[in-house]
Amino acid sequence: MYDTPYPVRPELKRKHLEAWRLIASPGPFLDARERVQIVHEARAALSCDLCRRRLEALSPNAVAGVHDAVSDLHPALVDMIHRVRTDPARMTKSVFEGVLAAGIPAEHYIEAVSVVCTSVIVDTFHNALGLPVPDTLPPEPGPPTGQEPPRVVDADAWVPLTDVAVEDGVFGLPRSPNIARAMGLVPGAVALFFLAFRAHYALRDVPLDISQAQAEFIASRVSAINECFY
Amino acid sequence: MLLRASGERDDRTYDLSAVTDDQGDSGVAHSDTIRALTEAAVGNRWDELAALRDRATAILGEQAMVDVLTVAAGFNGITRVADATGIPLDDRARAATEDMRAAVGIDRFHYAQKSARYDIATGEVSAYRSASSSSG
Repeated sequence: MYDTPYPVRPELKRKHLEAWRLIASPGPFLDARERVQIVHEARAALSCDLCRRRLEALSPNAVAGVHDAVSDLHPALVDMIHRVRTDPARMTKSVFEGVLAAGIPAEHYIEAVSVVCTSVIVDTFHNALGLPVPDTLPPEPGPPTGQEPPRVVDADAWVPLTDVAVEDGVFGLPRSPNIARAMGLVPGAVALFFLAFRAHYALRDVPLDISQAQAEFIASRVSAINECFY
Repeated sequence: MLLRASGERDDRTYDLSAVTDDQGDSGVAHSDTIRALTEAAVGNRWDELAALRDRATAILGEQAMVDVLTVAAGFNGITRVADATGIPLDDRARAATEDMRAAVGIDRFHYAQKSARYDIATGEVSAYRSASSSSG
């Protein structure tokens, strides 16, 4: 990863490599092969004809068709992966409900979201530096690991959130903001995503050669582009 | 909210509407250069990025240029987590940002509103297709 003359921070390289290895390991509900396939699907979405036509449409839900899939993942999961990768601004609850209606448990959905979003970080950074995206690692054998039942609570999201005591953090945010609780149904999904993400940002004293205000401007601009209400 | 907090900490007022506008000066140092890099990276405009990286390196320095892309890549991932789970704003943030959200126009990104908007569009198109097929 990151064979480049650009000064990529060593901590970021290490965390991305750890995340890449973790994706190629059995997860709580998906085996390693499925997790690696999710990365391949996310990449395939960028050249998928259905995704392209949906992007051009008034509503993505108005365009029916079949994705240019590259895996044997369930079609409902493929649809979610392609949408999250190519058109996150227009993700709707109906997509999540469609996955559930296809018989895929919410835990599988969450784990897949974590893998997609982790791969988006890694791939975006590679592409932005003019690098080819990294090969996925060979999936480790073995079944999903399972998990202890997490403590979750209904808090008006599409999915249950991690159940935590509300404590004040910095800048008017709680110590555990909803974004950190969003994948609480699958703690391993939280761990994977934030393993990759933490090297990219901090709420204060951002350890980068840009100011906090510049970091917040970038964060806000990306949020606006992706129509992220949160 | 965090950009506004940065302004308060720096004793500066940043133009938050520059976040949702495609243009505009936020008041953040070198925001035009940062904006161009960020939008190209998140918009998959890889062909433009080589020249943008060179230009940004001349203005910001190489490490800062890489760090802009670092933050952009991270938020290109985390915004998708929020978009895929439909999480609400935290209670205190919701109350503290009411005026700002209205002014900047980000309330239209609310997940319930987006679901209603795009599902309505689906319904309209479905109804149109039904009418077209029955009349044809």
